[in-house]
Amino acid sequence: MVRTLPGLRRPAPRRPALRGAALRHAGVAAAAALSLAGLAACSSDDSTSSAVPGAATGGDKEDLTASAPVATNIPAGSTMDKIKKRGRLIVGGSLDAPLLSQQNPATKKVEGLDADFGRLLAKYIIGKPEVKIVNSASETREALLSNGTVDVVFQTYSITPERAKQVAFAGPYYSSGLVIATKKGETGILKPEDLKGKTVIAGANTPAIPAIKKAAPDAKIVTFGSDPECVQALKQGRGQAYVQDEAVLLATAKQDPTIQIQGKPFTSDPYGIGLKHGDAQMKQFVNEWLKNIEASGLWAKVWKNSIGTVVQGEAPQPPAIGSAPGSE
Amino acid sequence: MDVITRHLGEFGDGLLITVELTLLSLAGALVAGVIVAAMRVSPVAALRAAGTAYVETLQNIPLLVWLVLAVFGLPEIGVMAGLFTTAVIVISLYQGAYMAEAVRSGINAVPVGQGEAARALGLTFTQSLRMVILPQALRTVVQPLGNIAIMTIMNTALAAAVGVVELTAAANRVNLAEAQPIWIFVTAGLLYMALSACAGLTTGALERKLAILR
Amino acid sequence: MSAARVLFDEPGPRARRRIRVATVLTVLAGLALLGLALRQFADNGQLAADRWRPYGTWPMWRYLLDGLKSTAFAAVVAIALSMAAGIVLALGRLSPSRWVRLPSAAYVEVVRTIPALLLVYVVLFALPKYGLDMPLFWKLVVPLSVSNAAAFAEIFRAGIQSVERGQLEAGLAVGLTRGRAMRMIVLPQAARRVLPSLISQSVGLVKDTSLGFVVSYAELLYSGKVLANYNHLLIQTYLVIALVYLVINATLSKVARTVEERNAGRVRGAGRGRAQRLRGERALRERVGAGA
Repeated sequence: MVRTLPGLRRPAPRRPALRGAALRHAGVAAAAALSLAGLAACSSDDSTSSAVPGAATGGDKEDLTASAPVATNIPAGSTMDKIKKRGRLIVGGSLDAPLLSQQNPATKKVEGLDADFGRLLAKYIIGKPEVKIVNSASETREALLSNGTVDVVFQTYSITPERAKQVAFAGPYYSSGLVIATKKGETGILKPEDLKGKTVIAGANTPAIPAIKKAAPDAKIVTFGSDPECVQALKQGRGQAYVQDEAVLLATAKQDPTIQIQGKPFTSDPYGIGLKHGDAQMKQFVNEWLKNIEASGLWAKVWKNSIGTVVQGEAPQPPAIGSAPGSE
Repeated sequence: MDVITRHLGEFGDGLLITVELTLLSLAGALVAGVIVAAMRVSPVAALRAAGTAYVETLQNIPLLVWLVLAVFGLPEIGVMAGLFTTAVIVISLYQGAYMAEAVRSGINAVPVGQGEAARALGLTFTQSLRMVILPQALRTVVQPLGNIAIMTIMNTALAAAVGVVELTAAANRVNLAEAQPIWIFVTAGLLYMALSACAGLTTGALERKLAILR
Repeated sequence: MSAARVLFDEPGPRARRRIRVATVLTVLAGLALLGLALRQFADNGQLAADRWRPYGTWPMWRYLLDGLKSTAFAAVVAIALSMAAGIVLALGRLSPSRWVRLPSAAYVEVVRTIPALLLVYVVLFALPKYGLDMPLFWKLVVPLSVSNAAAFAEIFRAGIQSVERGQLEAGLAVGLTRGRAMRMIVLPQAARRVLPSLISQSVGLVKDTSLGFVVSYAELLYSGKVLANYNHLLIQTYLVIALVYLVINATLSKVARTVEERNAGRVRGAGRGRAQRLRGERALRERVGAGA
């Protein structure tokens, strides 16, 4: 079978009329490019985040790393020693999880609970909060840890016995769970069983999918690539409910008054700090650090700075270290 | 291997959606393509410009962006359609731009004498296009149409990103549950190859049947 | 040559008037529809100034431009890799040895029917399970290169086949080896003839890098995803992104067309209007000049 290519099989030169149209079009493209450049240039003096609704996380936050502890007992030849010599902690994390690990486009800094803990751990090991975040898809975290691409994973990494066969978990350092969000005023969906027979929105490749299947096997699941897409889909009625991690949904519900969270989390996801499998020394070290910042009140400050900006009241009690199956 | 037999239903459903997406989109693309190609050779400058703008805009923005924009943007301008319908419309229009280019080069491949003869007989622009040029142009388009069909099959996979559970999304979901990626993705790949082979055979047969001997 | 050119006479005064009226009516109808859509859009609050203001600020654009830089980087590497592989595959497919020909043909025929997204899923979800976990950049570039190599191979093959056999034979006759004759005589001509196809395939590849959205490699579309997560402005963000893609790719396509016209001019030589060729070249010079 011989294939001819469009470029080759078009023997005719462009006719003058079309050539004119094409040129005119190029003019439009050029004008658009110019106006883009203009847009970009004319507003370079703006401070940005004030113009962004819902993102007013503010610059007045206290720098937690300044007063954070630094370890004095790093054994020579340990993983921590290597990290210290390198001068930078490599963290597996996200850029697009508001309140947990979200990149601020204006400063490029990654903000949130997970990101702050990462910086605190870096300060503890190295003496300064030097962190490099390797953006990792959730399916690849085990591989990233085992082949040494990252030192630790701070990424809503739920501790499970299955995962514990491939990675070591320090912590848990935070306990979250999946919650159900609906449009404001929805009265028929209050608990997971109510999802039966409904169309439920979930983030692609998130733990929400198996959880929904378990709670309501006949629910129809529609998945989208990111949280704002899921929210938009919910608002447009492409599903009656949206199941997502509580921390993520808290931020969204706070920002968008047309959706509301129904009930309490119906799963319990203890977040752990992922470490290389078998590195008992580092696991113990990280657990000590966690104990240290929990006792000193730094943990509560981190919470206040992130999730505490959308939840009223005092910081909750952190989960007991080693309490989750898989983290012993 | 039994991963596949256990999830035969999911694969079957996914395959069916992929086939439906492909066939409906191709039909839509053919309609859009012929209309736009006709616009691009018409005597009306505005139509020609609109045709060019259509092809340029559609071809120069990734299909994934179009899909996301359509799924979330259309309801905001008051057009609410299901995910499958939206995907069919977007893929039709997108492939329509490529189809228009194929049809236009088909029109250009028709010997000038045919057009002159049609005009000499007193046919109007529409008549000569409809009765003389297009029937011949469409025959020469059969082969690029095969390529566009294969491209469409592959592009339907992107509908997975906006929540349509077609073959790729189905395979991904089975893999999430079973974690046996090799078998699952190889099966999906084989199914896609089979689909493309069908498209190739069909257009090949069409081509032999419709070929104009010159 | 173009049959369409003779499908209509130059419209007379009456036809011109009719066309003008029809054009005005159609444009008005189009504007009315657009207005309706915009009103609905505004009713949904999507046109509110503070939903657009972030995209009038430099940091947002700086972020997007960084994404665009990553898009360009991924695209350039993927284009280089897949073109190199494409040339090898094309030569392989035209090789006299069956042991080279068949595997090359099999690769091309198999890969050109598998969606890039499926390949991305394989690299993303399947390979790490077997211990192969690439950096994000390669998770995007490898599947794109694998898939586009087949397309480039077909383009190069068509180009090589379009060069008259006599050229290769003449090369062999003056004592060049097959490889040298290919490299020094056939390939340069083939590449020139298929340049427009190569460019349009490259535009396709630039569009394919939007799969970084799935890989979470920080190219343009994924940067948009992070932005939308940050400012909750989904639709505005994607509209801006679509505009950026449009400007970039329209420019590239325009280059492809210019090259095509220049090629057509060169092949046909002075026979078909030297003036037109010169015009094309002057236009190109002007553009290059304006760019510099």
